[in-house]
Amino acid sequence: MLDFLKRVFNAEDKSSKGQANNRLRLVLTHDRLGTSGLVMEAMKEEIIQVIAKHMEIEGVPEVKIITEGRHAAMDISIPLKGR
Amino acid sequence: MDNKTAEGQVIVVTSGKGGVGKTTTVANVASSLARLGQKVVVLDLDIGLKKLDLILGLENRVIYDIVQVIEGECTLKQALVKDKRFPELHMLPAAQTRNKDDITPEQVKQLCTQLKPDFDYIFIDCPAGIEQGFRNAIAAADRAIVVTNPEVSAVRDADRIIGMLESANFKDIKLVVNRIRNDMVKSGDMLSIDDLMEHLCIDLLGVVPEDQDVVVSTNRGEPIILNDHSQASTAFNNIARRTLGEQVDFPTFEDINLWTRIKSLGRNMFSGR
Repeated sequence: MLDFLKRVFNAEDKSSKGQANNRLRLVLTHDRLGTSGLVMEAMKEEIIQVIAKHMEIEGVPEVKIITEGRHAAMDISIPLKGR
Repeated sequence: MDNKTAEGQVIVVTSGKGGVGKTTTVANVASSLARLGQKVVVLDLDIGLKKLDLILGLENRVIYDIVQVIEGECTLKQALVKDKRFPELHMLPAAQTRNKDDITPEQVKQLCTQLKPDFDYIFIDCPAGIEQGFRNAIAAADRAIVVTNPEVSAVRDADRIIGMLESANFKDIKLVVNRIRNDMVKSGDMLSIDDLMEHLCIDLLGVVPEDQDVVVSTNRGEPIILNDHSQASTAFNNIARRTLGEQVDFPTFEDINLWTRIKSLGRNMFSGR
């Protein structure tokens, strides 16, 4: 989610059309999932905590929403430490 | 009723947000189809806030309304207003002093079942919003046209409406983008058609440019398609032909600019400049 936000806010396009597109990408994703940026952030933390309770995490975990057309999926990538 | 074979199709025109051009779209696409020889009826389901009669310029010919038909005060035939300019176009007016809860989705379905044998296309002008009026408007529809403007709030509402139509099992949902200004798209200050397609992910049925002639036509109560020289007219005629299943290319920016140049050239010539 953070990555998604970063991508949105670091986007090159500074035109008002670019801003409209970035704002729409975020708001439509949240509308369709019936959630908000804050909820997503909290959920990401919880997911990482659950994994960390049972395994050792190594590196930067990623939890983000990926969209294809009108469908969305959660993409969770958590690097684990091996023995 | 003469050369009509298959049952009529019910098409709902909806948007979520108000003021994006639903009624103008219904009035012009329906008139255009009627001019092409299709038997068309338009139903105004914006009960309490009727506009279709006014946009079509038929406000003085209204006698009965849809609620009176449903409540049995008059027959369906008595309530249908015939458009003298387009012999194949009929309108069933909304009631102005009633509200959306006075009819049910089931009653709209029954009404459409009655109309289907006699018409090729039944257009439903849906009220803004997602409440009872929306449920009434989509109940009988086989296809949906979602109208939006290249503007964030209209796109957000359109997305919500598309989601609701999908939940209601609509398989044929098409997009009409109204009031686009290519000069602003080019300068980076307006969402483009590609942007809207990326966000809404449905097929494009039409693109209507912002056109001052629409205001003039609306003032006069004449469908814009009667003005052969306006860009909006061409756009609505194209939507009508695509509705019939014809392949009609979308004009590119260059075409539109060329057309604008020819048009302004003509204007300058006629105004003696």
